[in-house]
Amino acid sequence: MTEPLLQIQQVSKSYYHKTGWFRGRRSLALEPISFDLHAGETLAIMGETGSGKSTLAKLIAGVEMPSSGQFLLRGEVLEPYNYQQRCRHIRMIFQDSLSSLNQQTTIGQQLLEPLRFNTLLTLAEQQQKVLTTLCQVGLLPEHYNFYPHMLSSGQQQRVCIARAIILEPQIIVADEALVALDPSIRAQIINLILDLQQEMGISFILISHSAEIVKHVADKILILHHGKLVEFGTTEALLSNPQQQLTRLLLGGE
Amino acid sequence: MNVLDIRNLTIEIDSDNGPIRLVDGLSLQIAEGEIHTLVGESGSGKSLLAKAILGFINPRWRVTADRLWWRHYDLLALTAEQRRSITGRDMAMIFQNPSSYLDPNSSIGEQLQECIPTDDLKGFYFRRRAELKTRAERLLHRVGIKDHDTVMRAYPFELSDGVAQKVSIAMAIAHNPKLLIADEPTNAMEPQTRGQIYRLLSKLNASQGMSVLMITQDLSAIMPESKRISMVYCGQLMEVGTPQQLLEQPLHPYTEAMRSMSLTNHQTAAKTRLPTLTGSIPTMANLPIGCRLGPRCQYARRACIETPRLRKQKQHQFACHYPLIEVNNYD
Repeated sequence: MTEPLLQIQQVSKSYYHKTGWFRGRRSLALEPISFDLHAGETLAIMGETGSGKSTLAKLIAGVEMPSSGQFLLRGEVLEPYNYQQRCRHIRMIFQDSLSSLNQQTTIGQQLLEPLRFNTLLTLAEQQQKVLTTLCQVGLLPEHYNFYPHMLSSGQQQRVCIARAIILEPQIIVADEALVALDPSIRAQIINLILDLQQEMGISFILISHSAEIVKHVADKILILHHGKLVEFGTTEALLSNPQQQLTRLLLGGE
Repeated sequence: MNVLDIRNLTIEIDSDNGPIRLVDGLSLQIAEGEIHTLVGESGSGKSLLAKAILGFINPRWRVTADRLWWRHYDLLALTAEQRRSITGRDMAMIFQNPSSYLDPNSSIGEQLQECIPTDDLKGFYFRRRAELKTRAERLLHRVGIKDHDTVMRAYPFELSDGVAQKVSIAMAIAHNPKLLIADEPTNAMEPQTRGQIYRLLSKLNASQGMSVLMITQDLSAIMPESKRISMVYCGQLMEVGTPQQLLEQPLHPYTEAMRSMSLTNHQTAAKTRLPTLTGSIPTMANLPIGCRLGPRCQYARRACIETPRLRKQKQHQFACHYPLIEVNNYD
């Protein structure tokens, strides 16, 4: 067995609510959870609303800090608040592509920014990299000078994917990134994700409540319920022999 | 009998480069007590059609139709006031993000009581108020909310998506409409919640004979009880038929593409490329001439630069010059 790409060890998240001047209450959004992710694998996280699946995604992407536990990337600890280390390896795509792009600057500028802050490339090299990445996600070099509102929703989602892969990360976290798209565009984006995975060997962590997409794309599935890991296994195992009622419900569709 | 009869509805707006046809010759018939599903991707004009039926018309739009009849009223010939009284009595609409369509400043109970017609309430103030409250409770029971006290006291942000959609359905059915227009009511909802809303709508349809015009994006997420499906693309009608006809033997390339793209029938193996339509949906400013699917259609030929006529064979209508199966005896 090869070494896992990302090891998640006893990670939990709790929030503190103030109930009085001196009193407060802790609520556990995510109970301690451990699992491994291998290179080139797609992991789908499923669960009902409020089951903590978005919390887990944010913790992995480093948007929020875990209350306990740690992440190991190829045996190396990912330190909290070290955004530069994390953003080079783990990137995130959001549900609403238009609002996750900056409306005021061009696509080219937005794609240059991660390169400027995280690499030692010269400006000409950075621009070349942006152009090749644009072509890689199925856009044209002319889109460099476009503003986000000039593109259709599918193209905007492609820009978000370009922004995610431009630093050549090892893991991409997609939080409901395929739900709001039109069916024909959604199929194109799924194809793009599968192609990129084959070319670059990226691991995807996909959060979705659509059983069909998960069945098609995922290698492994993780089911959460009220912040607790209910079931974790390969897609075939969970489809053929689900251990829990909830798994059957979520994967069975309606 | 058709309650709603639309023939050749066209909606145009003026732009710098001449008029743009947002909706191009749509026809739609809904029989009494029928569930009709309208399937189209974004920008296909399906919400515009719903607004044209209800009469929420922007003065900049030019709405023309050979026929826009609701039962025996010609809606285009009526004055705005007459039209409003008819649509207000007979039709209702529910929307995509229920919690954003409810008023955040007042409780669900207040909003619900506002929607209930008060013409036949009798007695003095206190008796009328008590009666109104029981009616609101009964409405909530009808849409399957048992815990009426908590919901009536709640504000929209406290409700989950499913419950908020149920409340907006309760408001819509408060005056017993004959037609309910549901504009993507379950988009971005979980499959379980979607199932609940679908079951509720089909129950209301069966018990009260309420016709439903269901507007949705995805051919794989249609209501199982719907009798007929209309496929729309960029404001043009592509194909109309029963779910069986469309899902088992589509005649139009667009329906075929939408069917093969949906992952539910799962003929494609996991982790393989999906069949797609190439390109993206054209924007309203750059619509192609003729059949608007043309640039994205793999079967397109020279004749496709002319808009195809809607042809009909055994209640299966389609608008394509080159249907997937050779059709001979159409009219």
